[in-house]
Amino acid sequence: MLFGPQAWLALFHDWRIFAGGLGQTVVASLLGLVLALILGTLLGVLGVTPVRPLRWVNRVYVEFFQNTPLVTQMFFYYYGLPRLGIVLPVLAVGVIGLGVYTGAYIAEIVRAGIQSIHRGQLEAAYSQGFTYGQAMRHIVLPQAFRIIMPPLTNQFVNLIKNSSVLSLIAGYDIMYQADAWSSYNLLYGVAYLTAALLYLALTLPTAYLARRLERRMQSTWGAAT
Amino acid sequence: MRRRTWVFLMVLILVPSLVLTLAGCGKSSTPNIAKIKKRGVLKVGVKADVIGFGYKNPATNQFEGLEIDLAKRIAKEMLGSENKVEFTAVTAKTRQGLLDNGEVDMVIATFTITEERKKVIDFSPVYYVDGIRLLVKKDSGIKSLADMDGKTIGVAKGADTQARLEAKAAELKVKPKFQAYETYPEILAALQAGRVQAFATDAAILKYYELQDKSTVILPDRYSDEEYGVATKKGNDDLRDFVAKVVNKLKDSGELKAMWEKWGLTSK
Repeated sequence: MLFGPQAWLALFHDWRIFAGGLGQTVVASLLGLVLALILGTLLGVLGVTPVRPLRWVNRVYVEFFQNTPLVTQMFFYYYGLPRLGIVLPVLAVGVIGLGVYTGAYIAEIVRAGIQSIHRGQLEAAYSQGFTYGQAMRHIVLPQAFRIIMPPLTNQFVNLIKNSSVLSLIAGYDIMYQADAWSSYNLLYGVAYLTAALLYLALTLPTAYLARRLERRMQSTWGAAT
Repeated sequence: MRRRTWVFLMVLILVPSLVLTLAGCGKSSTPNIAKIKKRGVLKVGVKADVIGFGYKNPATNQFEGLEIDLAKRIAKEMLGSENKVEFTAVTAKTRQGLLDNGEVDMVIATFTITEERKKVIDFSPVYYVDGIRLLVKKDSGIKSLADMDGKTIGVAKGADTQARLEAKAAELKVKPKFQAYETYPEILAALQAGRVQAFATDAAILKYYELQDKSTVILPDRYSDEEYGVATKKGNDDLRDFVAKVVNKLKDSGELKAMWEKWGLTSK
């Protein structure tokens, strides 16, 4: 039966398959997050520069990658790029796909965060001799970062869940392994329930750690003046 | 996290899991022939992309093939008319779910009988024997499974292709890699993109894709015997026995062979 003891026994017998999927999801998510943070911060800052063409870059990037489905983007990298001669390994496809997509959301968060910092901070930095870039890096961004922690960690949780798209391009992540294993022996009930629990095992601690990090940053920086 | 929150979360996670597990034990559902007769139509899951077996002809928008004829024959024996049948397109991955939840009464969709599957599903006697073959790009230089050491083979999720080929490959002392995709067209796309070097599935299914892409060719070797059976939900014994009777009747009378020939098929 769907959830009977035999099904669970079969699943525990093949635990390595699910462990492998978990490992792949963790790697793809972490690397994807790094890429997303880099792209998101860079492009978010671009969104507030006085240079109009650079702001356009931000607009185009954000609007395109936020408003097209992640699946479509992944399929393009996976099936489309090879037609142009670029064949990337599936993990690279996953990291790029997740990084660029989530980066668009992070760019918006970073932009909003920067804009919420009082202009006085920037002016004070200028008066101290900072250039725009230095002011951003040392004064504005650190303060903005503290403010945007909650929506940022939300994006990370979304990224972890979105990594399941890898299952559609034979990505060997949690969903792919659960899918392939269960479609072979038809025990899809226990497989998908376990997949869901594995994702929870990743997202719940992430949310918890993020809240702790948030609290710690508050005490380090003190109240904003 | 506060203790109350933890308890709440644990309850939220454990109770549904427990309920589902308990519901799984000892439950048996019984759609049966009377129910089908009352409904007045037989619901069958078939393939839509396998020429000669289960194929939705784009010109007529109708299903046609050996398995369609078989379904119509079963409907005729059960309900009196070949037309009292409703087809649902399925894939190797979706056919089990649709059978389990009752969306279809039976599945006739190039479904290979294996020991593992027999544990969760009932099969009729064999109505056709096919074999697994490989589709490769003509310019790849690959001539057989023996050339696939270290290379990747694309298969469909839900198919038993990987297991069969792994056994055969072990005999030939080669170790190919495998990637599973949702649908057959995706495997062809992967072959074209160079992500896999061979597309493996039952020969009958491959024919359609060889036609789609003239730069590919089906290699001559057949790597296993794929015995097709009509699948019914485990526990629907009356349905299973009825189908078995029909299939055996067709086999004994020679009508089954005539049906193969009608579609240009040669069973092993």
